[in-house]
Amino acid sequence: MIQVRFAGLGGQGILLMGEILGEASVIEKKYVGQASSYGAEARGSACNSDVVISDSWIDYPEVTEADVLACMSQGTYEQNKTKVNASSGIIFFDSQMVKPDPASSLKHIPVPATEKALTELGNRMVANMVLLGAVVKALNLVTEESLRQALTSRVPPSLLKLNIKALALGFELGRIREI
Amino acid sequence: MPIQRKKIKSSLAPGWYFMQGDEACAEGAIAAGCRFYAGYPITPASEVMIRMVQRLADIDGVFIQMEDEIGSISSVIGASWAGAKAMTATSGPGISLMTEAVGYAVITETPCVIVDVQRAGPSTGQATRPAQGDIMQVKWGPHGDNEIVALAPWSVQEMYALTIKAFNYAERFRLPAFIMADEAVGHLRETLVVKEEVEVWDRYKAPGLPPFGTEERNGVPPMPSFGEGANLLVTGSTHDSWGFRKTADPAVQARLTERLVLKVRDFKDEVIETESYFLDDAEVGVLAYGFTARAALQAVKRLRNQGMKAGLLRLISIWPFADEAIIKLGKKCRVIFVPEMNRGQVAGELKKYTTTPIISLPKTNGEVIEPGEIVEGIRRNMA
Repeated sequence: MIQVRFAGLGGQGILLMGEILGEASVIEKKYVGQASSYGAEARGSACNSDVVISDSWIDYPEVTEADVLACMSQGTYEQNKTKVNASSGIIFFDSQMVKPDPASSLKHIPVPATEKALTELGNRMVANMVLLGAVVKALNLVTEESLRQALTSRVPPSLLKLNIKALALGFELGRIREI
Repeated sequence: MPIQRKKIKSSLAPGWYFMQGDEACAEGAIAAGCRFYAGYPITPASEVMIRMVQRLADIDGVFIQMEDEIGSISSVIGASWAGAKAMTATSGPGISLMTEAVGYAVITETPCVIVDVQRAGPSTGQATRPAQGDIMQVKWGPHGDNEIVALAPWSVQEMYALTIKAFNYAERFRLPAFIMADEAVGHLRETLVVKEEVEVWDRYKAPGLPPFGTEERNGVPPMPSFGEGANLLVTGSTHDSWGFRKTADPAVQARLTERLVLKVRDFKDEVIETESYFLDDAEVGVLAYGFTARAALQAVKRLRNQGMKAGLLRLISIWPFADEAIIKLGKKCRVIFVPEMNRGQVAGELKKYTTTPIISLPKTNGEVIEPGEIVEGIRRNMA
């Protein structure tokens, strides 16, 4: 079983990251629990999107201690860094949005998601898919194909090409990260 | 009762789905034969409504967004009398508005399903946050004695399966049946496995027999629909077996109120459903329901690993209440802990059935109860 938490601000597409990873895992016949928490505001409030993936029935489907935290804002990084497994947890962070805590002994992996989304795709809105691609590839959570399939069922056709490019960019970044 | 039970092909293709609880609830309704939905949007139940719009459009059903929750439940009652299986979904504030009409559905013996995706209250409270604060409200909200059915799903799979059962019980007993979900399970996305067939119960029809009375004290009469040729009177006032108002006749009032209660109480075992985990040798009991029971299950496993003989009784049905299971649990355990996202509603109910000490572990900060908190709460009290 693996517990993954995506965290960031409303509007960054945090909830969608969890949904797509969850869907991709079900495509691979896994048991998945995916829960989100968010404020009443449409934009700007702190959001978490949790994905628990297992080969069998999951007793408690929310993250109790994250194996993986992928973070896109400073505030939610501060809130969640203590909820990561102290011995084996990994934190992925958007290097333009989060300044990691130098005192933390956890493994931190910078991902230039927002930067790459802007410079290579000209649209920061798909930074979430860059980060998702990087996390999934680095940890081999699901196959690229399952993730693309899940994305296709959840993104409007007009934005699909852009999002698939962003995922591919993330896969590339994930491939070169050392875990 | 000669209710028609049949297996039909599932409306969703068999297979694995990644689905949200609210959506699975709507799919359960469609599978059970629901063809009328009226509602008013409210967080965290709106996704039920959104899914119902899409699905009912596909299959020639009727969907209406009403002006409010009073209109919603009233049109659901009307649709049921027109012969449709009908549903609405809301949250606590909507249940408050629907309460008068729920009493009307009880006395007119109208099958319908009401989904309550509970959120933190009282009043508007915290719209996006979970709670289990409506347990007593759905039972005791309307005036007079109300027997209703209420089921508490703990997973997306049960949002689907228990919604089908709620429709079946609504038809079997001719009453409003509630799904007591909460924000956590309503918005949870999980693996949903859909099988080939579902069991669906259809309304008991017997033209010529009275629609509001039976020979037995605890019977469920057949239910004609408008348009089938019966001369139908449907009233919230006390009525005789043919529906004629009898508002000052003690015998009619006594017979009706007794039957409305006994038709459920005498057959409660058909509805009551519980699950036991590690209870065989348990000394420390935990009783939980809905999403909280999943935290409780993990808490019990952790306590077992730490050497404590803990066990879990999960309520799948809330109303009618699992009295005999509680009596047994009380005999087995020295103490019973009840974690719930309210200030002890079910913990209090347990005290009717056992003298074993009951310790409430309430949480009402708008967040779910985590396994670690239950472990800690039990450890603190057992020290």
